[in-house]
Amino acid sequence: MSEALLHLDGISKVFPVAGGKSVKAVDRVSFEVEENRICVLLGPSGCGKSTVLRMIAGLEDPSDGAVTLHGKPVVGPARDRGMVFQAYTSFDWLSVRRNVEFGMKVNGVPRTERRARAAHFIELVGLTKFADAYPSQLSGGMRQRVAIARTLANGPELLLMDEPFGALDAETRWHMQEMMIDIAWQENTTMVIVTHDIEEAIFLADKIIFLSSHPGRLKEVIVPEFKHGNRINDKEHIVQLPGYAEMEQKIMRLMREEGARE
Amino acid sequence: MPTPHQERHFFEIRKPVSRPQAILSAIGIWAVFFGVWSLAAHSGWVNALLVPPPEQVFSTTWDFFAERGFASDVLISITRVLVSFAMACAVAIPLGVMMGTFPSVEAIFNPFIGAWRYLPAPSFIPILLMWFGTGEAPKLALLFIGVVFFLITLIMDHTKNVRKELIETALTLGASRRVTVTQVVLPAVLPDIFTAMRQMLAMAWTYLVIAEIVASTTGIGAMMMRARRFLKTDEILSGIIVIGALGLTFDLLFGLLHRWLFPYRKETR
Ligand SMILES: Nc1ncnc2c1ncn2[C@@H]1O[C@H](COP(=O)(O)OP(=O)(O)OP(=O)(O)O)[C@@H](O)[C@H]1O
Ligand SMILES: [Mg+2]
Repeated sequence: MSEALLHLDGISKVFPVAGGKSVKAVDRVSFEVEENRICVLLGPSGCGKSTVLRMIAGLEDPSDGAVTLHGKPVVGPARDRGMVFQAYTSFDWLSVRRNVEFGMKVNGVPRTERRARAAHFIELVGLTKFADAYPSQLSGGMRQRVAIARTLANGPELLLMDEPFGALDAETRWHMQEMMIDIAWQENTTMVIVTHDIEEAIFLADKIIFLSSHPGRLKEVIVPEFKHGNRINDKEHIVQLPGYAEMEQKIMRLMREEGARE
Repeated sequence: MPTPHQERHFFEIRKPVSRPQAILSAIGIWAVFFGVWSLAAHSGWVNALLVPPPEQVFSTTWDFFAERGFASDVLISITRVLVSFAMACAVAIPLGVMMGTFPSVEAIFNPFIGAWRYLPAPSFIPILLMWFGTGEAPKLALLFIGVVFFLITLIMDHTKNVRKELIETALTLGASRRVTVTQVVLPAVLPDIFTAMRQMLAMAWTYLVIAEIVASTTGIGAMMMRARRFLKTDEILSGIIVIGALGLTFDLLFGLLHRWLFPYRKETR
């Protein structure tokens, strides 16, 4: 069994808001993420998923509790935790290749190695033909693939993604989901993915962390046992597996309960 | 059966016009302008001394360059604009980007620059003349003051509009703050900086003419003031045409430069 790479130990986040008041967005959330596993953060809108992810990334400091990676507390953003955002983040002034090389370049990876790694990850996300194109010439799905390749090429310990496919149409979306499963296999990547799409969560997850809303609390940890530890990279196949429908129903019920609490 | 066509009216709401129609319309409005001018001058409705006909103005303009060495005046004016504008950019670009990136820097300079922006630059002319005498310095200073504060503010605002996700992406890729500013914020805002420079260059021409009319013996503005003394309306109008043509040329050059430097922005423009 794989050991835990990332620990969240009772993290909370309080945001100051107008009028001198404050709002508790995340309340004492603890969970861990094992190496080479895909962990999905799921929950109703506004429950604090992004805030939890941003605290893991070091883009937001927890008001309480600690995030540790390999047992070391996380302080600020660093290359060991790469992040892919929902909004497009391609650097428009750089070609696809140079976008993917960016992280390696600022971290002083030698040119030849940079080139080779960039080529590998561009190939992995299926953009070899577009390596010299500029992001403005690409579709939304392709730009998101550039962002994924750029983050992976930088060799992070942990890949964090905040609704990475939220802006894409349904078909592109499941292509991307299948691609992520393949990547997780081939590259031994540990991922934390935020989504509010139940299907996406079940398809991608080795483990689902379900958060309740206002404030965001850990409601339930759901392991899709019906996969029997296998990663299934075919969306059509997974929905037919025994146990899939039950799991979907269970999560829908959780979502509905949370919605009713609003 | 032919496909039915919707009838096209002249007043179509927000439908683009064809290229021939666009060209024809543009020529048309200028033809009307010169037509009315010419008619007014020749028919004697107006004093011919005050409004010389267009062809006389154009031949005077030609004469200026061919016979009377007007090119050197024009060159002086261009140099003044470019030198002072370059100085303004050298201050405004780094400062504006810093202020737009670091709230701490903004907190220092914004209360100061915000106030200066509301002081009309020409109000400094008397004091600039006292401080710098009659050489090039007071003219350059006026243009600098007239442009720099607006340019800083524009660049600051554009820098603030650089999306947070771009900066956070750089940070999570392991870029230092300095690298993030120089390799992400700056290139991201550069096209907008160019646009701001283009707008402010037009303003620099305005202050140039003021400076030359009020306090200069050289340059286009000074030439126009000399012409006024000798009631040479055609020369004054020539000056106006040349200034207009120069402003337009620089604007077009900036547009070309923008397209050449930032080809990836083409789609969005
Ligand atoms: N910078 C901030 N300042 C104040 N409040 C914030 C800030 N960021 C988030 N919040 C609040 O914290 C709560 C959780 O926000 P968060 O973005 O983490 O939710 P989410 O689960 O990602 O939602 P969504 O599904 O809509 O993306 C919300 O109520 C939000 O208004
Ligand atoms: Mg979110």
